Amino acid sequence: MTLNRDTVVNLAILALLVATAIGAHVLGNGFTVTLATKAAIFGLAGVGLNLALGYGGLISFGHAAFFGIGGYVTGILASHAAAGTPVATLPFTVMGSNEMLGIWPMAMLAAGLAALVIGALSLRTWGVYFIMVTLAFAQMLYYFAISWPRYGGEDGLSFYVRNSFPGLNTFAPIQYFAICTTLLAVALVFTAVVTQSRFGLALQAARQNSQRTVALGIRPYAIRLTAFVLSGMIVGLAGSLYADLNRFVSPAMLSWHMSGEIMVFVILGGVGRLCGPVAGAALFILLEHVLGGVSDYWQALLGLLLLAIVLFAPGGLIGILTQRRRHA
Amino acid sequence: MPEPKRHDPILEIRGLRKSFGALAATDDVSLDLRPGEIHALIGPNGAGKSTLIKQIVGEIRPDAGSIRFEGQVIDGLDAAARARLGLARSFQVSSVIADFTALQNVMLAVAGASGAVFRFHRPALADRKLTEPALFHIEQAGLAGRHLVPAAALSHGERRKLEIAMALALRPRAFLLDEPMAGMGLEGGRQLTAILSDLRAEAPILLVEHDMDAVFALADRVSVLVYGRVIATGSVAEIRANPEVRRSYLGEEA
Repeated sequence: MTLNRDTVVNLAILALLVATAIGAHVLGNGFTVTLATKAAIFGLAGVGLNLALGYGGLISFGHAAFFGIGGYVTGILASHAAAGTPVATLPFTVMGSNEMLGIWPMAMLAAGLAALVIGALSLRTWGVYFIMVTLAFAQMLYYFAISWPRYGGEDGLSFYVRNSFPGLNTFAPIQYFAICTTLLAVALVFTAVVTQSRFGLALQAARQNSQRTVALGIRPYAIRLTAFVLSGMIVGLAGSLYADLNRFVSPAMLSWHMSGEIMVFVILGGVGRLCGPVAGAALFILLEHVLGGVSDYWQALLGLLLLAIVLFAPGGLIGILTQRRRHA
Repeated sequence: MPEPKRHDPILEIRGLRKSFGALAATDDVSLDLRPGEIHALIGPNGAGKSTLIKQIVGEIRPDAGSIRFEGQVIDGLDAAARARLGLARSFQVSSVIADFTALQNVMLAVAGASGAVFRFHRPALADRKLTEPALFHIEQAGLAGRHLVPAAALSHGERRKLEIAMALALRPRAFLLDEPMAGMGLEGGRQLTAILSDLRAEAPILLVEHDMDAVFALADRVSVLVYGRVIATGSVAEIRANPEVRRSYLGEEA
């Protein structure tokens, strides 16, 4: 395979992220390593959303639901493991867990099931209605989490020990960064493979011209639902990692702010671009900490930047980078 | 299911009716498409040609009547299932996947016809089961050498040919071509006429067309639709001579 322009930019973005974390680690700056970890996790969430939004054209404003479900599954399993109590006894006993390798599949499964139900219903609508229905489902879960006292309700749920991974010390910021970045890389490879497959061809065709796709014997609904579920599972995994990063989950992970933020990562970086969400999430976190130090109203500046990107560079950061190379 | 005989119609439309409120857009239409023929469907604007096509492909449901395709009643099938049976449709306004290359467009059609779309693993562009038939149909439609051009960058005439390549890739048992000549220049129209004439050997064509030169050059039979009703069906000569057709449709042209 030859390296094309997009691949070079994609690899450069990942290299920059890894170099930042390693550099900060060498300099003993654990806080920056944690910021880079956060960028990797948010990037992963964006990569997940991008599969539905970018490639499938499914403008979901409810992906916080899957992020939050991944987070809550992690928090609930971890807190039960710490307390030594079962999560459930009926219909069969489910014990807590503090093993990431056990928690991730559970988080992804739960998020995937939620995506199956939410997707099956909301994909019967289109356009603005789809946006509103996905938003409504996520908000339903948000209010449910707030009013469910067993796992902290409005205050959220803390667990004091980060879950473990065999052979690694997950408390060391650089090691946890390595875990998150590896999963991000796996998700990127997965996305690259899937979007270039037959399924990916059909998904992108259905986005651009649904009627034509039907006339070629392909039912867009099943294709879109599959993409929505895969997307939800990736975002669920990101939610699990985020919960472990903070050792805390709260209803905020389920709120529409979160859905909006994940969408911002995708739009900043470049809709339907493989590494777009990673670049977008990194930029978001950079701005949050540079501008956030200058003014509490940094989000107003973020808003302006977002506006400028949508108006003048709809390909996002990746679009700008790849275009410059083309003319160079 | 009994094996269809060689001269049985591929497509049999019987007593089709569709009303929108008080307007009967399709009023007791019966039509056949026989093996090896080009059957042209003509009629003034608003005669209900598009509505009829949409019912045949399964995009809208008729109020009454029935459609058989190769002897099988297809009334209960959705549009995707009908396409997979080999009912290949082209659209009035060119309808292709704009960001895809010509090759990817036709590969999509090959994948759709195969019914095996849920393949997540292998890169589609490296899948010779997709690329080889796709390249063959691109050449067949007269687009050889243009397969790596994005559909959006193709000329209008080339996009028409791309649609035909996509229709061919469905391994069609019948073509439904909705105004393929629309917007083609004189030369493009001549080329397309030749391509359509060859296409008849692949499968019969139900041709909706406004271009009377093309219709009279190509059609084996012509049906005239006026206000949702078929007022006449016959050979080109019969239709040209039919007084009712001359009065209601060919008036200004004959």
